[in-house]
Amino acid sequence: MSWHKRVIDWVELRLGIRDILAQNLTEYLLPRNTNVWYTLGAVLLTLFALQFLTGILLLVHYVPDSNEAFKSVNRIMNEIPFGWLIRYLHVVGSNMIVIALLLHMFSVLFMKSYYRPREVTWLSGFGLFNLGLALCLTGYLLPWSQLSFWATTVATDAAGAVPVVGDQLVRFLRGGPMVSDTTLGRFFALHVMGLPLLFGLLVGLHLFCVRRAGISSPPFGSDYRLWEPKDRFRHQHHPGGIPFFPNYATKDTAVICFFLAALLTVVIFAPTIFIPPDALEPANPFTTPAHIKPEWYFLWAYQTLKIFPSKFLGLAAQGALMTFLALLPFIDRGPERRPAQRPIFVTCYVLGVLILIGLSIWGHYS
Amino acid sequence: MDDSTVSPARRRFFLTILLGGVGAALAGLTAWPFWTYLSPSKGAGAGEKVKVPREKVPIGQAHFFTFQGHPAVVIQPSAGKYIALTAVCTHLGCIVKWEPDKEDFLCPCHGGRYSPDGQVTGGPPPKPLESYPVALQGDQVVIG
Repeated sequence: MSWHKRVIDWVELRLGIRDILAQNLTEYLLPRNTNVWYTLGAVLLTLFALQFLTGILLLVHYVPDSNEAFKSVNRIMNEIPFGWLIRYLHVVGSNMIVIALLLHMFSVLFMKSYYRPREVTWLSGFGLFNLGLALCLTGYLLPWSQLSFWATTVATDAAGAVPVVGDQLVRFLRGGPMVSDTTLGRFFALHVMGLPLLFGLLVGLHLFCVRRAGISSPPFGSDYRLWEPKDRFRHQHHPGGIPFFPNYATKDTAVICFFLAALLTVVIFAPTIFIPPDALEPANPFTTPAHIKPEWYFLWAYQTLKIFPSKFLGLAAQGALMTFLALLPFIDRGPERRPAQRPIFVTCYVLGVLILIGLSIWGHYS
Repeated sequence: MDDSTVSPARRRFFLTILLGGVGAALAGLTAWPFWTYLSPSKGAGAGEKVKVPREKVPIGQAHFFTFQGHPAVVIQPSAGKYIALTAVCTHLGCIVKWEPDKEDFLCPCHGGRYSPDGQVTGGPPPKPLESYPVALQGDQVVIG
């Protein structure tokens, strides 16, 4: 008997894992026509794991103090062996995560996978998207460079547009009237502990929802049928589908490898595309660099604030859009999921994506 | 060549070894940056010299400082004579203290005793305290 069979037998006798493995791997069937967009969840999990690992490694040498933070990041980049690799993986990885999150969200929107009974899955996913952005925002300040200092100043300043409590909100976010040591302390705590903890819990809920309700069928092809449990909970099975392991896991692995290859390509050949020159100077609270801009994924929001006559209206428009997206499964309740049968939705979808891209480009060059 | 001479079991064994080897090599390549990132930097502070102002080491007194990342001590047992030693006891790594009245070093953990030049005079320490080169430069004592 081979050694791995013996190990499985040993564990089987104590925990009965063969059933669990079979139910979740070889006997867990998925639709035959799942496409590449279905693998983005696994890609995101891998990228999150990489962020977690590189984040812990960065913590070994990073000093969360306004006098030491920039120096410690410089030390990581220039003195610690492979420090550059760990930091670039973390920085570029965060941008890859935003790209994967956007692709995941837009593909779910396009295929209307949020449709009943998957409202909770959508809500938890939307929460994860926002938490991911919050992690990016809080992590951005930590190197304590000119860019991180002033980008955080601009980003936290936007909260001042909230009527009545705006000023107090800004002071609360910063821990004082200006971005300072206190802001660094609270952003650090949020970035390394508070937000990841929430994020982990929400990932757990999201995965539970996905597994409990079952994977939705792609709304394409002649054999597509609407699946909608009305009276009681039912798991969506896919008889005649492909097993999760090895068929679907192989597909997942291939796309994960593609993303990791893209990540390493940027890390090795063009890491500075996410690190502009202002990120190479230590923060100076008395000198604002010219043309300070937020990260690319916040450019649409930045430009929205600029084109509205008042900051409050801009902020309200963003809030309305995000609320609309969060509540979409409760607004768009029609049973039709096939994009070809939903011309109005597809038009709005394409226009929405184009507006988002257009605003971001406008924000970049404005 | 006849393929049937190689049994499926042997083919599987060969593939397992091959894949295992490639996997181990990849794992090693991936782990290497992490290992070196976490390893202490080689020779941190090696060759570093420390300057101590002479007024900090009066006759019969000791001055503790950090030398090449370790606690160290410099004493002036008689006028113009300086001795620099590691302050780490050779028994279990506690920090020795200078006893001016007895003119020796005492390790407070297990009662090890050393003479002013670091030789063991009592207790469990297995070897003397390591000494460092000392030179005088104006009003500075240069150690290292």
